[in-house]
Order: sequence, then structure tokens, then C-alpha cells
Amino acid sequence: MRDPSAEAASRLTPEARALLECYLDRVRGALLVSAAGEAGETVEELREHVLEEMAGGAGTDGELTRILDGLGSPEALAAEYAGDARPESDGSCADAPEQDRTRLAGTVLGMPYELRVPTSERIAGRWWNPLDPHIFVPRIFGVGWDINFGAVAVRLGIVRPDDEDEPFARVPEGWLFAAGMVPVAIAATVVVLVAAYWTELPASLPAQWGTDGVPTQLWPKAGWTTFVLVMSVVPALASLWTQLRRRRPLYRGARAALASMLATIALAQTVQTLVTLAGSRAMWPTWVGLALALVLPFVMLVTLSRIGRAAEQRRDLAGPTGEERV
Amino acid sequence: MGTEGDSRISQFRKGVVELAILALLHRGEAYGAEIVDELARHPGLAISSGTVYPLLSRLKKAGVIDAMWRESPVGPPRKYYRLTDFGNAEFDQMAVAWGGVSEAMDVLLEEGAQR
Repeated sequence: MRDPSAEAASRLTPEARALLECYLDRVRGALLVSAAGEAGETVEELREHVLEEMAGGAGTDGELTRILDGLGSPEALAAEYAGDARPESDGSCADAPEQDRTRLAGTVLGMPYELRVPTSERIAGRWWNPLDPHIFVPRIFGVGWDINFGAVAVRLGIVRPDDEDEPFARVPEGWLFAAGMVPVAIAATVVVLVAAYWTELPASLPAQWGTDGVPTQLWPKAGWTTFVLVMSVVPALASLWTQLRRRRPLYRGARAALASMLATIALAQTVQTLVTLAGSRAMWPTWVGLALALVLPFVMLVTLSRIGRAAEQRRDLAGPTGEERV
Repeated sequence: MGTEGDSRISQFRKGVVELAILALLHRGEAYGAEIVDELARHPGLAISSGTVYPLLSRLKKAGVIDAMWRESPVGPPRKYYRLTDFGNAEFDQMAVAWGGVSEAMDVLLEEGAQR
């Protein structure tokens, strides 16, 4: 079974294919000068985006031209991705009126920053991209770098870059939904803990600690509660929404992993506060929580990838000669 | 040569490596690591797995190549790539075009070297 993007790609006429490749090559070329590390990932994301748009529309050559016109000139688009100065356009391919450039993403003092609202596409492209060998990639939101768990898994030899044709596309629905429920379960634990201890919580609560376990900052009860609930419940609901809308499997997996990380940090904060209020100076909730916040999304994404790979192998190896596809 | 020059050479190689992959697969199907190793035998291409795998993914999405898991005589199953009918036609066209480009460049570079 082919996905809609692949179907859209197969329907392209040679002229349309050449136009799309020319456009993408110009974006890639501009990125290789200004943001070489991101070129591959960005161009593949862009290709996927264009083909998805094609799949959702008429899929004609005119439709492709309209989509590329909407994106603007390749150099301007690349500059927007890279936050760099826009090189001169050579006027070929699909030049379009210059779009207003945003400064919501780019680099400052060598550090990448990203201030655009995180999208499922960006989360997925940054967090699980085994095709990209770079482990550290620009953050989904904020300043600095995130971890490309796909590159880590490849580096560790747990997965191969091409294990799946399309990440998580063959993962059975039940597994995807189970992944989506992980952050919901963690967020529910946070809510239950806060509710259970609500009446016992003082007006000010420890929110930051020194390495010796002594609180260094107190927050008002309302602020502390808002922080842990927003940190856990909002991402969990966003992940659940992505599951219920049956978005692309990769998006669903990546959203679940991100929500699990944030909810785990909120849970660690909650438990650390309760442990401190109980008179202990132990810091294990923070350390265990931080470790889990990294390990849990990694395990989730790797597990989904392995399940997807196993499903692909069952499809291809099912026949006696391995030639038949299910 | 500076970073910009290196980027241009890298970009130039990436354009060529697509044809190199098609040429490899025109000989017969191969799995990812095999393609990477085969290209690595040609230092002039200097292409890493970080370039080859995204290219394979792109070619597959474009319908130029197809991929299928196969049992391996040694070790776990591997994903093998092969040219589709469309890919074979693309390769034939690109090979002819490359012949023309290569010939023209040889002449130009030779003339440049003689001056």
C-alpha cells in the first residue's frame, strides 16, 4: 500500500517532476551555503510538504505551480529556514514574488533559535530522523539544540537509517495509540498527586533546588500548580488530539514522545517538591526524572521504529520467495 | 579552499552521486550499506552514508527505485534497492546526458589547462 505522498509523486508528469526537483535543488543549494547541517532534513521535509499538498488537492501540474508559487523563491525560503541573508535569485524554476521574511528562526552567536510555534512536522523532523546523521539539531522551540533520537539509534546500531520506508507508517494502530496514552498516563499521575496532596500543600512551594537538596527558590502555590499542570496536561492533550485526528503515524509518535518528556519533567518536579516537603533532602526524583525524560522518548521512538520495521519485513518476507507484498 | 568552495564541491558531488547510485543499481539490486561501501571505493565521490540514505529515500519517493526486505544468507534480513521501470528509463536518459556533459567538460578543462 502506497502512502498519499508517494501516490502524488508517482502521478507527477516528467515536466512537473523536473520543476519540483529544480526547486528543491535550489533550496538545497542555498542551504548548503548557509546551513549545511540542515539541508538534507529541510529539503526532505519540504518535499513531503509539497507532495502532501498535492495529495490533498487536484494533483495537477498547475497545482504544483500554485504550491511552489505560494512558497516563494527557493532562495528566500532557504534563507527563512536558515535565518541567513538571501542570495541573489537566478530567475529560473519557479520564481515568485518575494515573501516577507520572518526572523522567528535562525542563529544568534552561533546558537540556533526557533520561535515559531512547534508543528508536528517540525517535531517529527527534528526528533526522529534516522536519515540525518546529526545528533544535535536546532531546538523545536527556544534556543539551542535538541536531540535527533533517530541519529542516536543509528549510531548505537539499534536501527538502520533505511529500516522503514516511512517512519512508523506500518506500526499497527494499537501500538500508536498506546504510545499516545503514555503521556496521558503520566499527566494523570501528576494530576492525581496534586489533587491528593492539595490540602496539605503550603502557600509557597519549593521549585528549584541546590545540589544538596536545599530549596533555592519558592513559588506561590498557584504558580507552582499551574506550572506542573501546564507542563504535563497540555502536551498530553495535544498528543491525544493528534492521535484522535489520526495524523501521520510519524507525527503521532513524535508528539507522544515529546509530551512524555515534558510530562515526565512535570512529574519529577511534583515528586521532588513532595519529597522536600516531607523533610527529605534527597534529590533522586530530579535525577531519575531527568534521566527518564531523555530515555523514555528514546525508548518509545525506537520501539515504534522496530515495530514498523518488523511489519515491513512481514510484508516483504511473507511470500515463499520474498517477492510477494501483502 | 574555503567553506564556500567546499560546499560547492559537496553540492557538485551530490548531483553526481544520484547518477552513481542509479548506475550501481542498474548492475543489480543492492542494500544500503552495500551502496555506501561501493561508493566509498571511489574516493572522488567522497559520499557518506548521511548523504546516500536521504538520496535513496528521495529516489524511492520519486518512484525511481523500489525497496524490499530480503533474507540475507548471512545475518538478519536486509532492505534491497532496485531500479523501477521508470528508474531504468531515467538512468538511460541520465547516462546519455552525462556522456555529453563529461565530453564537453573534458574538452573545456583541457583547453583551460593548455592556456
